[in-house]
Amino acid sequence: MSIVLHDYELDSESYKVRLLLSVLSIAYQKVAVNVHPGQEQRSPSYLKLNPLGTLPILVDGETVLYEAEAIIAYLAKAYDPAKSWLPDDPAAFGKVMIWLAFASRDLAAANLARLHHMLEVPADAVEVGRASRAAFRVMDDHMTKRELGGASWFVGDHPTLAEIALFPAIALSRDFGIDHDEYPALRRWMRRVRTIPGFITMPGIPDYH
Amino acid sequence: MSFSAGWYAVAIAGGLEPGTSAGTRLFDKELVIWRDKDGASHAWEDRCPHRGMRLSFGFVRGNHIACLYHGWQFDEAGQCRYIPAHPKLDVPDTIKVARYPSVEAKGLIWVYSEMVAEAPVPAPEDGAATPVRSLYLERDPATVGFIIENGGAGPFEILSDSLFATNVEGAELLVALQPFTDDRTALHIVITSGDIAPAKIAVWAEELRAVLETVRPISSGDALLAERFAS
Repeated sequence: MSIVLHDYELDSESYKVRLLLSVLSIAYQKVAVNVHPGQEQRSPSYLKLNPLGTLPILVDGETVLYEAEAIIAYLAKAYDPAKSWLPDDPAAFGKVMIWLAFASRDLAAANLARLHHMLEVPADAVEVGRASRAAFRVMDDHMTKRELGGASWFVGDHPTLAEIALFPAIALSRDFGIDHDEYPALRRWMRRVRTIPGFITMPGIPDYH
Repeated sequence: MSFSAGWYAVAIAGGLEPGTSAGTRLFDKELVIWRDKDGASHAWEDRCPHRGMRLSFGFVRGNHIACLYHGWQFDEAGQCRYIPAHPKLDVPDTIKVARYPSVEAKGLIWVYSEMVAEAPVPAPEDGAATPVRSLYLERDPATVGFIIENGGAGPFEILSDSLFATNVEGAELLVALQPFTDDRTALHIVITSGDIAPAKIAVWAEELRAVLETVRPISSGDALLAERFAS
């Protein structure tokens, strides 16, 4: 098996990669990293793989990649011949990139809020909560207008990397005290995401049984 | 202004799909609204009688709603019908979820704000409506109501303390206010007449939200004046 994912089960960034690997049916080997309490991702050997000291890290043969959005873009380029998850069409590609940048920048607050609540990572709880809600509102406004226009997904007429990158933060928001009550369009969208073939959950995202 | 017990819109009816549930709040009380597979909607206290888990976190199975924690299932009347840990148990009648009176009218789900068997006042009447969207404002219900009533967010016809009508580009809109918590307010918007794309009203709605969250009401003795109204 050539693909190795250095992974932490509770990490929402690693989950983005696991989710895409699953929907693309890509076989891979998972290496569990002792993030809490070990901070193993910042050990000298891991810093050689990723100088940022973060997860996930994907190793595919000679290629070593970090940053979830970069990894999922790579996987789409390398393993999605239909070019469905990262569209070739320039406009659609650009729109997907907007949401990948949003996921990495604007949803960083949600990621931090969750780590603060769960793993006591230092943060201004009020500020990261406020920033998370602001980001979720942007997503809900977008999906509200998309639904009124007859669309179901963030970009185009089928799921893209935007879904993969945006889903974890809102799906896990109850971990840091933000209910889904105020995001009705995202609530419906999350149900659609759950129907994508190969969809998997992570701790904090219930399996409906 | 204070809001009295009564019927309040809590959601766009069409936004609650069959077989799904959602959480909401009315006067800070947690409610679950859910729609069974036959299409009927329900509004209950959002609490499983077993461990107090929010039922809105659970899932709908046929015409039952199941708690996420331990899978207890409740029928349309709020009666517990199945406890997975005791599959053969004939569940006692006392295990019930408290319910609110609710109806669907004008494209909205309305809930009577008190947990009574029957609402003492008639439910809102039905009528044609095209759903637009719900807005969730980071502002207390009294201030939001005050700004709307005093023209701080443009001209509105005041139908009641929590119900307003306005006209946008020839379309008649109904705006229903939901006192969500002490410091948060929901507004539910439907088009009652006129030929306009709902997406266009959704853009107007975002502007309305921005105004209602930022206009500063000015206190002048006992009378409050919305800034825009005063200027």
